[in-house]
Amino acid sequence: MRALVIDDSRAMRRIVGTILKDFGFEVREAGDGQQALDVLQEGKAESWVPDLCCIDWNMPVMDGLQFVMAVRANPEFRQVTLMMVTTESETGQIVKALAAGAHEYLIKPFTADALRDKLALLGLLPEGVSA
Amino acid sequence: MTLSQTQPITELLDAATVQSICDEVWPSLVGDGEAFVPVPVPPPAELVSAWVDIIGPWTGSVVVTCAPATAEALTESVLMTRPPTVVDDEDVADALGELANVLGGNVKSVLPGESRLGLPQIGPAPARGRLDDVRALVGQWRGNYLTITVQGTAPHPSGTEVPQ
Amino acid sequence: MTLTATSFDWVRQLVHRESAIVLQPGKEYLVEARLLPMAQQRGLSGVSELVESVRNRPDPAVTRRIVEALTTNETSWFRDGDPFTALTSTVMPQLVAARRPDERLQIWSAACSSGQEAYTIAMLLSDALPNATTRVSITATDLSREMVERTRAGRFSQLEVNRGLPASMLVRHFTRAGNEWEIAPALRRMVTASECNLAAPLPRLGPFDVVYLRNVLIYFDLPTKQGILNRVRQIMRPDGWLFLGAAETTLGVDDNWERVVLGRGSAYRPKKGA
Repeated sequence: MRALVIDDSRAMRRIVGTILKDFGFEVREAGDGQQALDVLQEGKAESWVPDLCCIDWNMPVMDGLQFVMAVRANPEFRQVTLMMVTTESETGQIVKALAAGAHEYLIKPFTADALRDKLALLGLLPEGVSA
Repeated sequence: MTLSQTQPITELLDAATVQSICDEVWPSLVGDGEAFVPVPVPPPAELVSAWVDIIGPWTGSVVVTCAPATAEALTESVLMTRPPTVVDDEDVADALGELANVLGGNVKSVLPGESRLGLPQIGPAPARGRLDDVRALVGQWRGNYLTITVQGTAPHPSGTEVPQ
Repeated sequence: MTLTATSFDWVRQLVHRESAIVLQPGKEYLVEARLLPMAQQRGLSGVSELVESVRNRPDPAVTRRIVEALTTNETSWFRDGDPFTALTSTVMPQLVAARRPDERLQIWSAACSSGQEAYTIAMLLSDALPNATTRVSITATDLSREMVERTRAGRFSQLEVNRGLPASMLVRHFTRAGNEWEIAPALRRMVTASECNLAAPLPRLGPFDVVYLRNVLIYFDLPTKQGILNRVRQIMRPDGWLFLGAAETTLGVDDNWERVVLGRGSAYRPKKGA
């Protein structure tokens, strides 16, 4: 399993990345939406397509919502599961992200257990890890 | 809309709500078993702040303030570093900023109307606006001074900073 | 009074035995922080006194609370998703076909904790059945009055809704109430919560079409397990369904049940003529 963790906070990238690595994910990182699109484009050359993107909302250059829309507009990345991981937590914001094409939504702060529960919902938990 | 027409933060947000946000943020972001304890201790000589702005019907900042050493310890706790790993200034700015971001987003979600959240900033705390437009929680983490201040924006952002 | 080494060790062994989770030395502060409210509720001065009282007078209910307090902060919504998938894919269609349209389908969430299981069922059925709010009634019971009151309130913290509740369900079935999330009133009305001690004779409940009795039996000894399963069977419909926790079974405990494989999991049904 492969994951791309997109957050302007490197502390948060490290936290999310560490949990995902514990579940056997190979993790790459990006500091904003544009960087993340670059990682996706560069990955194509080596057939590196993530199974999961964890996406912060508020980031410089390109925010998480714009990133979701950009990925959804590209059929090459149809298989990628998109999960917002953000402190934005009003109903309206969650609806907006889901409407743009995000599959799941994890609100900061979260525990490792909460991230694991979301992976289980998305069918991205490797076998041998109990839900 | 002018600032005088909006309700002050004291009307919109009570201390118990800020504490309940802290009760969720500390154990999940700072570390299992960690807590922000709302019992004041004397402030240290030097202070550092990280904050995010909220722009909407109510406009202001959510500010976390503590001693530089406390910020460093918070960073180590957030990043779960173990000696001999040390955190650098960029780590500290980043981790304290993310703490302010998570607190800020949760504060924003309980305020009425639609608002926007700014990106985290770090440095000396921004100037406060109206004196009644401040909701401050003074307390401690692991015995060290730490405050969470939700404060309205100063009417003249270009004006001189109010010493904290 | 601080936690003694003996008490910490006893808690550590208990948690390991019941949950396979290892509490490393140095986690004394965690044990202290999580169990102190429980000790105070029982009028005890500290965690060591709580441990002493359970060691002198073993009480599975208290043991369960201790393990829960130390292993999970929050209950997951779709905890072990299989029993919920089975409910909408197999169990409900069969029951709806077998019952008269004016008959209420009765579901029991035994040991409901703060209500996640009961409301998960309510959400799933309100999505699956057009008239769920009038067709289904859900009984949620727990030993603890505090948990019963929490279930009745139907309010959950941000950390709680983060635990395995699909975002699409959160926005459809909950509204924000300050820093918390509140279940929709129509779903709350589907759930009736009350206190109930499974290890004692049951109050008048049921008869139930479906029973969720998950992660409860593991805390009891064999005779108590047998007693509970027997009492549960008495208040179930003959064609009803029982869901146990993933690590639990009636096999070798009570022969009056038939195990049925449903998808990746299983359910138990009262044996005919038992």
